[in-house]
Amino acid sequence: MDILVEDVSRIWPGRKGTSVTALQDFSYHFRSGRFTCLLGPSGCGKSTLIQIMGGIEDATSGSVRVVDPALSSRARPLGRDSVMVWQTLNLFPWRNVLDNVAFGLEMQGMPRAQRYAKARALLASVGLRGFETHLPGQLSGGMRQRVALARALIMARPIMLMDEPFGALDAQTKIVMQEELLRIFDETRKTIVFVTHAIEEAILLGDEVIVMTARPGRIKEVITVDLPRPRSLELVSTKEFGMLFDRAFHLIREEVMKSLEQQAAMLEEAQ
Amino acid sequence: MKLSARGRRILELTLPALTVVAFVAGWEALVDLRGIAPIYLPAPSAIVEYLLRMIADGSMGFNLGVTLLRIFAGFAVAAVAGVMVGIVMGMSRIAARVADPWIAALYPLPKISLIPLLIIWLGTGETYKIVISAVSAFFPIVISAYSGIRQADQGLIKAAKDLGANRRQVQMKVVIPAAIPSIFAGLHLGMGVTIILVVAAEMIGGSGESGMGYLLIHAGQVMETEKVFASLVVLAVMGALVIKAQQWIDRRVAPWTALHDGH
Repeated sequence: MDILVEDVSRIWPGRKGTSVTALQDFSYHFRSGRFTCLLGPSGCGKSTLIQIMGGIEDATSGSVRVVDPALSSRARPLGRDSVMVWQTLNLFPWRNVLDNVAFGLEMQGMPRAQRYAKARALLASVGLRGFETHLPGQLSGGMRQRVALARALIMARPIMLMDEPFGALDAQTKIVMQEELLRIFDETRKTIVFVTHAIEEAILLGDEVIVMTARPGRIKEVITVDLPRPRSLELVSTKEFGMLFDRAFHLIREEVMKSLEQQAAMLEEAQ
Repeated sequence: MKLSARGRRILELTLPALTVVAFVAGWEALVDLRGIAPIYLPAPSAIVEYLLRMIADGSMGFNLGVTLLRIFAGFAVAAVAGVMVGIVMGMSRIAARVADPWIAALYPLPKISLIPLLIIWLGTGETYKIVISAVSAFFPIVISAYSGIRQADQGLIKAAKDLGANRRQVQMKVVIPAAIPSIFAGLHLGMGVTIILVVAAEMIGGSGESGMGYLLIHAGQVMETEKVFASLVVLAVMGALVIKAQQWIDRRVAPWTALHDGH
C-alpha cells in the first residue's frame, strides 16, 4: 500500500496569538513494501507526521491518502490501513499478554478460541511462547516490545507505522529488536514507516532515510540505502554503511546545530 | 555500634512488637505503682479481663456484629451509587456539569452535621444509621471514580482506537479498567468514613441500643472505663482487619496495580 502525503502542515496555537509550526508542507510518496525511516533532530515534527499518517492526529492542512498500486491507480482517503507501534508501547496493563495481542480481534468480535489461536501463533513467532498469561508489568522491556509488535502484526494491516519504538530500550535489547524487525519485514513485506533519531538505526533498517530539517519539519534530503537484504548487524562495519552514515551524520549535524540555536533564541525571548 | 545485616533484619522484625510490649508493660506498672483509679485509667490486665468477659457473655460479639452489618450496608449503598455516578460523570460532560455544583456544595459539609436532620426525618432506627454512613462515604467514592475516569491514560485510548475499538469499546475496555486503581482508592477512603459515621451515629441515636458506638457511650456514662477501653481495642482491631481485607481484595481483583510500570 502506497501512502501519499501531500502538503501536510501542523501548526500548534501558542500563547498570545503566536503559533508553532511543527511541520510545513511535507509531501512524500511512501512506496508499497518499502521500509522508510524518518530521521531528524528532536522537535522536527517527525512524530507529529507519523501520528497524522496514522490518522491519530489531524493535520492543519494537507492530505494523507493511500493507494494499492496492484489494484487501482486512484488514491483514496486513509482508512484502517495502518497500525501504530508506539514509543510508550501503550500495552493495557490489566490485560495479560494473550489478551493484549488479541485486543484488535476482540474489538472486531472474533470468537475467543479463534483469536487466541492467532495470538498464540504470533506470540510464538516473536519468541514469547509460555508468557501468554503474564501481565505486561511482569515482563522485561524487550519482551514488552515484542508484545507490542505482535499486537500490531495481528491486525494484518498493510502499513505499519513505528514511532521511535526502540527509543527506551537498552543497547543490547535494541540490537536484538532491530534484527527481529528486519526478519519480520523480510517475511511480511509490509509498508513500514519508522521514526527515529538514531542514524545507525535508520540506515540499518531503511530502504530510504528521509532526513528532516529542524522545526518547522521539512524534507532536507532523502538518502537511498541500497544495501542488500536480508540484513543483519554485521552490515554496520561495512564501508558502504560507513559512507551512508557519514552523509546522514553531516546532514543531521547541521540541523541539530540549527535546532540548538532555535532553542537558545526561544529561551532568550522568554526572558 | 555496627550491626550485621542479619542483626539489623532481626531488629527490624522484633522492634515494633517490642515497643508495643514495652508500652503495655509500662502502662500496667504505672497504674499499679501510682494506684490510679480504674475509672480514670484501668490496667491493661483489667481491660483484657473485661474484654474476655464481654466476649464470653456474648455482648461483644453481638454489638460488633450489628456494627459490622451497618457498616457493610452503608458502604454497599455508597459504593454502588458512588462508582456509578462517578463513571457517568466521567463519561458525560453534561452529567458532570449537572453534578458538579451539588458535589462542590455538599462535599465540604461535615456529614455529622446532618445527624439532627436525619433523626427528625428518619428516627433513630437502622435507616438513619445506614443513610448517614452511605451519604458520607458516597462523596470520596464518587470523586475518586470521576477523576479516575477523567485521568485515564490518553496513550491507551489512542492505541485502542488505532486497533479498531469504537467509542463504546474504548469506554468499557479501556477507560473503566484504567480507572480501577483510582476507584479502589476511593473505596478505601469511603470505608474509613463509613466506620466513623456508623459508630458516631450509634452513639447519638439513643434508642437503637446496640452496636459498638452504643456500647462505648453507655460504658462511658456508667463509668465502666474498662469496657470503654475493651470496646476501643475491638474497634481498632476491626478497622485494621477491614482495611487488610480490602487490600487483599484489591490484589485479587486488580493484580496489575501492584506492578509498577505496567505499560
